[in-house]
Amino acid sequence: MNAHAPETAFTLNGRPVSVVAEPFARLANVLRDQLGAIGTKIGCDAGDCGACTVLLDGRQVCACLVPLAQAAGAEVRTVEGLAENGALSAVQAAFLAHGAAQCGICTPGMLMAASDLLQREPKPSEAAVKDALGGVLCRCTGYRKIIEAVMDAHRFAGTTAGDVCAAPAKGRAVGAAMVRADGLAKVTGTDLFGADAAPSDALWLRALRSPHARARFTLGDLEAVQRRHPGVEAILTAADVPGENSFGIYPDLKDQPVFAEGFVRYRGEVVLALVGERAAVEAVPFDDDLVTWQPEDPVMGVVAALRNGAPAIHGNRPDNVLAEGRLEKGDVESALASAEALAVDELATAYVEHAYIEPEAGYAQRIGPNGARIEVAASTQAPYLDRDEVARVLGIDKSAVRIVPTACGGGFGGKLDVSVQPLLAVAAWVLKRPVRCVYSRIESMAASTKRHPARIKASAAAGRDGLLTAIRLEADFDTGAYASWGPTVADRVPVHGSGPYFVPNVFVHSQAIYTNGTPSGAFRGFGVPQAAILQESLYDDLAAQVGLDPLEFRLRNALRPGQPTATGQVLEHSAGLAQCLEALQPHWRRLRGEAEDQNRIGNGRTRRGVGIGCMWYGCGNTSLPNPSTMRITLDRAGRLTFFNGAVDIGQGSTTVLLQICADALGLETSAFEMVLGDTDRTADAGKTSASRQTFVSGKAAYLAGRDLRAKLLRLANVGDTAEIDLQGGTLRIGDGAQATDIDLAALPVEEGGETVLSGTGTFDPPTTPLDEKGQGNPYATYGFAAQIADLEVDMELGTIHLRRFVAAHDLGKAINPSLVEGQIHGGIAQGIGLALMEEFLPGRTENLHDYLIPTIGDVPPIDIILVEDPEHLGPYGAKGIGEPALIATAPAIFGAIRHATGVKVRKVPLLPHRLLQALRSKP
Amino acid sequence: MYNFNYYRPLSLEEAAQVLSAASDGKLMSGGMTLIPTLKQRLANPSDLVDLSEIADLSGIEAKGDTVVIGATTTHAEVADSEVVKSQIPALAALAESIGDPQVRNRGTIGGSIANNDPAADYPAGLLGLGATIKTDRRQIPADDFFTGMFETALEEGEIVTAVSVPIPKKAAYAKFPNPASRYAIVGVMVAQGPAGTRVAVTGAGPGVFRVAKMETALEKNFSANAIEGISVPAKGLNADMHASADYRAHLVGVMARRAVTAAG
Ligand SMILES: Cc1cc2nc3c(=O)[nH]c(=O)nc-3n(C[C@H](O)[C@H](O)[C@H](O)COP(=O)(O)OP(=O)(O)OC[C@H]3O[C@@H](n4cnc5c(N)ncnc54)[C@H](O)[C@@H]3O)c2cc1C
Ligand code: FES
Ligand code: FES
Repeated sequence: MNAHAPETAFTLNGRPVSVVAEPFARLANVLRDQLGAIGTKIGCDAGDCGACTVLLDGRQVCACLVPLAQAAGAEVRTVEGLAENGALSAVQAAFLAHGAAQCGICTPGMLMAASDLLQREPKPSEAAVKDALGGVLCRCTGYRKIIEAVMDAHRFAGTTAGDVCAAPAKGRAVGAAMVRADGLAKVTGTDLFGADAAPSDALWLRALRSPHARARFTLGDLEAVQRRHPGVEAILTAADVPGENSFGIYPDLKDQPVFAEGFVRYRGEVVLALVGERAAVEAVPFDDDLVTWQPEDPVMGVVAALRNGAPAIHGNRPDNVLAEGRLEKGDVESALASAEALAVDELATAYVEHAYIEPEAGYAQRIGPNGARIEVAASTQAPYLDRDEVARVLGIDKSAVRIVPTACGGGFGGKLDVSVQPLLAVAAWVLKRPVRCVYSRIESMAASTKRHPARIKASAAAGRDGLLTAIRLEADFDTGAYASWGPTVADRVPVHGSGPYFVPNVFVHSQAIYTNGTPSGAFRGFGVPQAAILQESLYDDLAAQVGLDPLEFRLRNALRPGQPTATGQVLEHSAGLAQCLEALQPHWRRLRGEAEDQNRIGNGRTRRGVGIGCMWYGCGNTSLPNPSTMRITLDRAGRLTFFNGAVDIGQGSTTVLLQICADALGLETSAFEMVLGDTDRTADAGKTSASRQTFVSGKAAYLAGRDLRAKLLRLANVGDTAEIDLQGGTLRIGDGAQATDIDLAALPVEEGGETVLSGTGTFDPPTTPLDEKGQGNPYATYGFAAQIADLEVDMELGTIHLRRFVAAHDLGKAINPSLVEGQIHGGIAQGIGLALMEEFLPGRTENLHDYLIPTIGDVPPIDIILVEDPEHLGPYGAKGIGEPALIATAPAIFGAIRHATGVKVRKVPLLPHRLLQALRSKP
Repeated sequence: MYNFNYYRPLSLEEAAQVLSAASDGKLMSGGMTLIPTLKQRLANPSDLVDLSEIADLSGIEAKGDTVVIGATTTHAEVADSEVVKSQIPALAALAESIGDPQVRNRGTIGGSIANNDPAADYPAGLLGLGATIKTDRRQIPADDFFTGMFETALEEGEIVTAVSVPIPKKAAYAKFPNPASRYAIVGVMVAQGPAGTRVAVTGAGPGVFRVAKMETALEKNFSANAIEGISVPAKGLNADMHASADYRAHLVGVMARRAVTAAG
């Protein structure tokens, strides 16, 4: 800040404020950095995402585009100003009650946009809500609950947080649509995300990244640059990394450098980091004084990477094949050769960006006596993986690293890899000063992992009776420059490649191929969504050939309990695809009928179509251990604490696990305090991915609750039917008319602390390794789903208007139906993006206006049918719901487009110009 | 952070004065376009003159057979204006289709046309309606104002003060928007009235342009059928990841027909 900067005065939430800052400082930065109003978020700093929406003289504006000078004398209202005298505003209460906030990063912006509307129209129509909130992006919720909440807000006037967040009755938490436990902080703007807090003396870190996809480089005279820029405390390079200059998900595949060493393999790779005062590090030009480049021709796409003589991306993989997966069951070749119905096709899909609204951010600092330990606070999905990476990079013991997850503003797989963590750790360690970093939107999109682009070929066969006989599927995935989760994709696709059906003969080959593209990693579904598009399309072909309707064909082939999967695993229970399809049948008949009637009488300019997509998804790691441990303690004062290491990235694990452990123990959810994520205080719950937290950590939470309950009951020597009550330091255990009061302070303490009793639960789902033919039991359980898409195609433009989805999901048991719906809505929204709009092109779509994600106008009404076919291994019968809705969406959309127009998808996303071209070249 | 002087004058004369005294002065209105370019250091002026406090520059008025809109009038004000909605509903709808509410609440008609983004909506609106652009120096017909990609007839230091739009007999704007920003991938304003029969296209080419063949055909017969077979060549049209030049050429035809149908 300039010492001569003028003073600007305005009103903030009814209070006069004045700041000394440049007239062109952006209001969003002034609010956050100078006035501490961190409820206003910055997701793009470019007017695209709306996370920074505030009211300026009563009208919504993007605070990131308003120069401070234009706020002079104005009245500014932010999320902090919504709750008055401690009472929530009606729209905040409605957001809580409707589950309209998931990760919460978009919530302040949504609330402000909604407030603008509601002050003029207290009971708005859906169209008015969509228009008013159209400038705020949400990547989690699919917008439906946000729309409901705003339309319903008028009913919540005068509601207190206590009213909305009332805990379910004792023993009734599981199955209750309780408000998320972290919801209040999200709707009041007090939740702290990666960019929202750091030690006040933290230095600023700015990473400089390669503008080339493949290049050699030489560092300039960095000391001279530093001398020319006072305020820059250090320019860090590979030479400054105290431990190993590499990281990666798999222990044997740590192939990505923290700082590149003389050679870069993708556009966006870090070459050095400037650390110091923010203004100073931002003012350093990224020019030849720092780095000189010798660009080389990059190897882009799997075709180029597999070509004979293609340059190797990594020396230890001369053929550029990072990993392969293979599955063989039965005799596919003869089944295909003797097929009565045969379908053959190909598909290409694009890079897909996670586009969480919160860019990567956090801080690191040395802690403990002599600063011998390091603490990294960052937005993450995997604190224990982060801990191990940081320890390795610093060359210190894992126990010397503490990871404190901040609130996570969306992950979807993209925050399973480290981003800011190793950079911050190195800087804070070397400089012995706290250091913070916030990626810009462009940086986040250029640097972070993506969904793997895929090229897939497949053939499938069925008999005249409509029973599937074989499928052969070969998929090449572009894994980009570094391994990340590439091997996971190669492993998962064979298991799921034949779809949720009984198919006697299956062959699947998948490979993850290194290229000079952006690294591909984990993204909701790990390759399964891409393969499912082609597999489902082929089954639609077969259905047509044998004269069956697509739903009937799927019902005939649905995998049923007792039938072996492609890996030879027999699911004895909780294989509910057939129930899902049966539940959809009446909707299907009605919608298909309506569509066909409409097309018969229509003018042909629009055509309506109704399609169906099915999926299954194994919960947890593929044939690898993935345990989770949960712990509950009860102390002398009667304080009950739930130590939960699972990171809630918006999906709601904090709430779901609390519901489970409350019922397992027999107390209300409100009886618990929670410690979340912190690796110093919670046990390893594993990463938040692969639909595993409800199933795996949920079971651990159940076991922890049961463990503590057993100990409590033993104190009173009563049976399991007894009721427990906790009142201050007194525990009352009643069995019928009898009740025993136990004074907790009189009990001996555990571990020399205050804890008198504790319960621990660990669960590792039973799996077996896959043999060389891909046979075995890779997952303990699978989620199943079937979804209908109803849409209209504009035949002149090639555009799609989505009318409705009907989604039937077998998730074992809905622990929290509201959160489950939220996952389904959000998954469908991302499936819409995958199918129709999202295509990341390195260097060209590194922002949220060229890279398109669904907006509030793109997600139609969604009807949800929950099929609860209990999974006996899971807590209260539950399994996962993180990935399923996304996977089934694109196939349903493409089935509907085919129904409307006869066009089969071969390139995804099916952008309007691609669909139009396909319509015109149709025979 | 930024090394320039900032002024927020209260009159047009003062604004013109400051601007002429500056070595490299720049105007700002809503800032929606300017602020991001400053941030990316795509522009580096010596002085910034903020027009937003000059009361005379804002407002909407019906004057005889025209509607006059002040340069700093926001898109939201145009969209909500009773005058515009009743006299030139096509223009109100065009303003309503710009960006999102946040952009409409700040962005201005003067800033939009001075910037002349090849995908902006107002250039098609004003060219299609045969508007006149008023500056602190002169009046410029829309036909002469939009000279190319981000280029206008404005001279150094010239300030747009208002636009004067003749009220058409019929008009409609049809747009195929970028799904994120809502900028036009192709937008077509079709109008018939005192300024003749006009078809103006934005988004498709490097700058807004008229389609003479369509205009002639509509002059004789104002119906979608009349322009059914008329296409614009794809050569020279914009191409990007959202739409190829061929697709844009196709969209010009479809959007023009839809606009004609909507205009009735
Ligand atoms: C997210 C987003 C989405 C958008 N979507 C659309 C869209 O769908 N359609 C569309 O048409 N536009 C869109 N825009 C652009 C928007 O309409 C801008 O507001 C407009 O282009 C510029 O207006 P402004 O008042 O903000 O101008 P400013 O940013 O203040 O100025 C723009 C330029 O005009 C000059 N200027 C300003 N006023 C005058 C004047 N009176 N005389 C001479 N020169 C002047 C400035 O010097 C500058 O060069 C979008 C912008 C954003 C950020
Ligand atoms: S941060 Fe302002 S719009 Fe994204
Ligand atoms: S809840 Fe909207 S982005 Fe996460």
